[in-house]
Amino acid sequence: MTFRNGALAALVVLPTVCLALAGCGGAPTTGNSGGQTVTVYVSGDTNVKDLWQKTLIPGFQQAQPQYSVKMAFSEHGVNDVTTLAKLGAAVKTNSDPGEDLIDGDFTQAATSGWTEKVSTANVANLKNVDPKLLLPVEGGSVPYRASAVVLAYDSKTVADPPTTLDALLAWIKANPGKFTYNSPATGGSGLSFVTTVLDKYVPATDRDKMVSGYDPALNGDWDQGLRTLKDLGPSIYQHVYPNGNQNVLNLLAKGQVSIAPVWSDQALSSLASGLLPPTVKLAQISDPSFTGGPAYLTIPKTATHKAGALALANWVLEPAQQAAVAKAMSGFPVIPISQLPADVQGHFAGTDPNTLRPPYSDQTGADLNRLWQQNVPG
Amino acid sequence: MQSAKIRAALLASPPIILIALFVGLPVVSAVLYTFGHTGGMNSVVAQIAQHQYVADHWWGTVGAYRNVFATGSFWHSLLDTVLVTVCATALVLVLGGGVALYLRLSGGWLSKVVSLLAVVPLFIPVVIASYAILVFYAPDGFVGSVCQLLGWPDAPVLSYTMVGVTIGQVWVNLPLGVLLLSSAFTSVPDVLIDAARDAGAPMTRVIRSVLLPMSALPAVIVATFTAISVLGSFTVPFLIGPSAPNMLGPEMANTFGPFNQPQQAEVMAVVVFLLAVGAGVYYVRANFRASKRSGASR
Repeated sequence: MTFRNGALAALVVLPTVCLALAGCGGAPTTGNSGGQTVTVYVSGDTNVKDLWQKTLIPGFQQAQPQYSVKMAFSEHGVNDVTTLAKLGAAVKTNSDPGEDLIDGDFTQAATSGWTEKVSTANVANLKNVDPKLLLPVEGGSVPYRASAVVLAYDSKTVADPPTTLDALLAWIKANPGKFTYNSPATGGSGLSFVTTVLDKYVPATDRDKMVSGYDPALNGDWDQGLRTLKDLGPSIYQHVYPNGNQNVLNLLAKGQVSIAPVWSDQALSSLASGLLPPTVKLAQISDPSFTGGPAYLTIPKTATHKAGALALANWVLEPAQQAAVAKAMSGFPVIPISQLPADVQGHFAGTDPNTLRPPYSDQTGADLNRLWQQNVPG
Repeated sequence: MQSAKIRAALLASPPIILIALFVGLPVVSAVLYTFGHTGGMNSVVAQIAQHQYVADHWWGTVGAYRNVFATGSFWHSLLDTVLVTVCATALVLVLGGGVALYLRLSGGWLSKVVSLLAVVPLFIPVVIASYAILVFYAPDGFVGSVCQLLGWPDAPVLSYTMVGVTIGQVWVNLPLGVLLLSSAFTSVPDVLIDAARDAGAPMTRVIRSVLLPMSALPAVIVATFTAISVLGSFTVPFLIGPSAPNMLGPEMANTFGPFNQPQQAEVMAVVVFLLAVGAGVYYVRANFRASKRSGASR
């Protein structure tokens, strides 16, 4: 009897301890020796997820069958900070971070030296990419598509859309309840609108520092812009800022709002699929324009399947894939547009891939998110 | 005797080891981090965090606490959190108690349907329910449309308000309240009720003097569990609530991720933890008294 109870106790204890130990320090499991399983961490809205799941991953596995690709998706990038911390820890301890390739805003990882340096030596197709795009990431990430925030308006209700920021601000106040933007923490289109309004009052030299680095002492430059945004509050739809880019598009599609800042790629693909009615048009504003920039693929320095990740990054830069990205999610190509088929070139009417005004750096953006949340809503 | 004790300890050890490893250790490390201890297990998060306060005494620093407590938006969120918690808990007790009483005293098919309906939220994911509530009370939703038809175009919109959040919290927590309270009322023997009725007590007196006192412990359990789950909730306020001020759940998530201030987020978590402990004290005390009364306590 005693023995049986002891054995029972051991039976219960042992698996738990094993489980706990496995959780603490399991060795990374590699795929079979013949092929490699590349794990891609994808951060963004559902359109980016669809791009990988429906276009890039099946295409790559077919083109280079020695690799298979696994995806980890983080909606709206909510897990980015955790993933960044994990990546930093992995590089520090020289262990596998769990991801081989990251599609998301990981500039901080690149500039901290946690990522594989890329050049034409290991990613041959970078020869077609403007080297300027590699400067913000100090050569630590591969730019693979770009997008900008544009103004979407319903031509049914807005005959004469504003073309400058000042005109837009005046329009919002003159038409209360017909404009909205998502809270900056939950999506890039709202962040871009906030950034653009703040930039109106930020001196050019200070702005350069906010884009390339981080200096909390400059946050005072935003005071006037934050007050302007607060003043807009009563004119915003329902006095509330939706969560995420997609919710703004939904309000636009339902006709609840008439004008909103949106991502060019998301809006173009929604127009193509009919999620947005054809009466919705896109335009860029000026003085200043909305922000935009490239999206990067980042390879952690200590990734286990680096070869596969580099091959995938190189493959995405081929003209055929750049055209596929343009078609699937209306992403701007990072290679000269002349290398793409004519039908894809015509896709970008109303938007201009060449005038991209860069957004703030990650850390500056984090402060902006906080100050907006504390000062603007409510 | 000795070996029996060891066996008992061994049998109880798996959950204890699990909790110590996966809950206890991170909690200790997080609390140390709030006092500015950025080394050891906190070194990675400290490497990327912004506006961090690093220990300047052997025991640490209260800089992060001072920073959070000096922010007006934190106090707004805290107030909203406490108000929603109190209101939602009271509503769950009243509504859950009402349904359970109805089921106990009438017992017809209608009461069964009502109690069944009250448990339905248990089977609907919180995300879906929250989004449904948001759409239902939106200006172009069902309620708004009906008010419009009835000639009331300016009817208040509950989406993106704390009232909407409270409705969501009640929806999520009502099933547990109904289940626990109806089982409590069912366990009160009919004999007691009949005896009271025979002595001439009206139904209100039966409820007040027999049913409610005998269900005090389950009521405390319902109140505690509802309060703790509302205090720490994220999905309901995130989806239904306003941008700001909202409850501390979304505020903590924002502070941790988008604002890149994990230290301040963990300070808020400590505050929520203390509030939850406050609610938990009632539960432990009620349990202790009940077991003492029944003579099970040693």
